[in-house]
Amino acid sequence: MAESTKMEVETATVTAPLPPKPTFVPLTAHEMSDGKVQFRKLSVPPNRYSPLKKAWLDIYTPIYDQMKIDIRMNLKSRKVELKTRADTPDISNLQRSADFVQAFMLGFDIPDAISLLRIDELYVESFEIKDVKTLKGEHLSRAIGRLSGKGGKTKFAIENSTKTRIVIADTRIHILGAFSNIKVARSSLCSLIMGSPAGKVYSKLRSVTARLNE
Amino acid sequence: MATVKDSGMEALEKLMSTEPPVFLAPSSISEVARAASQYLFTKLKPHNPKSPIDELLVDGYDAEQIYQQIDMQSQPLLSSLRQEVKRFAKNPEEISNFGNLVVKATNEDDVDEMDMDSDDVDDEEGNELEASESEGEEEEEEEEEEKKDGDNEGIEDKFFKIKELEEFLEEGEAEEYGTDYKNNKGVPKRKKHNLSDDEDDEEDGEDDDDEEEDGEFDAFAGADNEEADKLGKARYRDFFGGKKKEPNMKLKNVTEDEETEDEEPERGNQGNEKLSTHEKDRLKLQAKVEQMEKANLDPKHWTMQGEISAAQRPKNSALEVDLDFEHNVRPAPVITEEVTASLEDLIKSRIIEARFDDVQRAPSLPTKAKREVKELDDSKSKKGLAEVYEDEYVQKANPAFAPATFSDELKKEASILFKKLCLKLDALSHFNFTPKPVIEEMSIQTNVPAIAMEEVAPVAVTSEAMLAPEEIFSGKGDIKEETELTQEERKRRRAKKKRKFKAAESAKEPNKKARDATTENPKTVTGSEEQ
Repeated sequence: MAESTKMEVETATVTAPLPPKPTFVPLTAHEMSDGKVQFRKLSVPPNRYSPLKKAWLDIYTPIYDQMKIDIRMNLKSRKVELKTRADTPDISNLQRSADFVQAFMLGFDIPDAISLLRIDELYVESFEIKDVKTLKGEHLSRAIGRLSGKGGKTKFAIENSTKTRIVIADTRIHILGAFSNIKVARSSLCSLIMGSPAGKVYSKLRSVTARLNE
Repeated sequence: MATVKDSGMEALEKLMSTEPPVFLAPSSISEVARAASQYLFTKLKPHNPKSPIDELLVDGYDAEQIYQQIDMQSQPLLSSLRQEVKRFAKNPEEISNFGNLVVKATNEDDVDEMDMDSDDVDDEEGNELEASESEGEEEEEEEEEEKKDGDNEGIEDKFFKIKELEEFLEEGEAEEYGTDYKNNKGVPKRKKHNLSDDEDDEEDGEDDDDEEEDGEFDAFAGADNEEADKLGKARYRDFFGGKKKEPNMKLKNVTEDEETEDEEPERGNQGNEKLSTHEKDRLKLQAKVEQMEKANLDPKHWTMQGEISAAQRPKNSALEVDLDFEHNVRPAPVITEEVTASLEDLIKSRIIEARFDDVQRAPSLPTKAKREVKELDDSKSKKGLAEVYEDEYVQKANPAFAPATFSDELKKEASILFKKLCLKLDALSHFNFTPKPVIEEMSIQTNVPAIAMEEVAPVAVTSEAMLAPEEIFSGKGDIKEETELTQEERKRRRAKKKRKFKAAESAKEPNKKARDATTENPKTVTGSEEQ
């Protein structure tokens, strides 16, 4: 009996080769979503229909080639559809592409909207003039005029100094940029809506941007 | 004449009798007055040889005109009467000549004016004669006195006598200053005459003098004898005071003391009338000493008492005294025309020179360089937002590769310009010459003489070419020109040249042949191949 135990012990000391360590390849976006395809559908406003047609290729190329997202335009429903592919590297690509297309729909130019694809921390904020102050009729028109300035110079001044992009669509205002920059741009726009003259806004901008750029 | 005279007398008496208030009211009394004045005028006319008018013209004349006529007559009359009075004052013995006549007139009630007048005339004449006689007596006395002196015989003659001159001067002084010269002098003369006679003469003389002064008093003369007597008894001492009295209160104490002192020794030395000069001086000194001692004993004037308050001095006395105290304030400048003229000239000159004293703000130096003020760009940015972030990232990560910003380009341009300027300035001052910095650039070097390139003001003249010989020509071995070559060498060169050319041709031809084969017809191709 003792001999058998010894034997077992001896056999026990002789180790069998371990199975190889499993190597886990990171999951692709496709696999992460359990093989399901994810969609984004963005409606096209009628005023952006023809610009979309003109700039379609500029939109298509970066999304398809670099983001690896399928994109197509549904003419019947007038919507842009985005779909993940099997080789989409990152799950956030779809969201970024969708944001990029959405920014274009809001009115931003392609080079400005492209920044959304490339840089992570950029956002788009929208608000209406009536959120700031209820204005009617001529006052509203004048407020819009104040916002843009002569030939758009006030808007450009804000854009250049705060590194943002602004779209004023009738009573809606959209700001694209980093979070802190959006805040500065928004405050200057609000002061303009409230009625302060452009010179005052400029002076404030100067001091704020100097601090921002330090 | 008698009737006129009688009427005149009646008129006078009538005037005398009327009450004074009647004179004030215009009435018939004027006729009476005119008659009376006419009468008096004629009475006085003989005493006045110089009167231009014989008779007082009354009819139809104004009161003023009548008075002027009377005045014309009375002026010279009064002066002559004054002289007569003075003469009598000097020589009272002449009055005695009038005495008998006057006594007669005073005794008689009915005054016979004619006799009086004639007597007066005679008296005048008599007076003149007696005056001359009395003068002769005086001259005798004076001659006696002159004998005492007897010095001034050369200057004097019967007209001018120095003794008389001195006497005259002393008489004048005596009258003016009220000293008793006359009494002193007159005493020896009077002592020679009888005192009683003198007194009578004096009385009568006084009466006569009173009568002769004014014709109107003739009426009084008969009436009031007692008054005349009283007047006659008036003496010098009644007017000017006696020897012992202090004559005039207006005189200062000094003069009073002098007089008393003058009088005392006279009284003391009753015999000595004259004092020696030494004694006179001594008397004067004594008087001064007494005065000063008296001043010292008296309480001092308030200005000499040291500290004085307002209560201890009389009211407003400080205003009268010339006080001297220090003024701490500079006196205000008196603006005269000269001052203003000088100021204006100064202003004009300054304006012409344009040398104004304007205050100029001192320029403050900047302590530190200004921060770069980023200008707000009004125009639409040419870069997209992505590019903006891109540039920012690149600048942060790799500053070397960062594309130059606008400011950087400006800085570069500025630095280049400054370096050029510095180089030029250094070239002007040789000692501090610094050569151009070596910037490795691709540039074409021209074969230009070095003078033009290196020095602006050359120290030494050089004619070297810019390029090095190797750069001008790079060749190996013995280089010969064409003229130097021999025939064989020429041949050799030509052969070499040919060989090169052929080699180059053959290199080109195979390519050419290949191309021709593909494009052209086979026949031609074979044709070319055969060849």
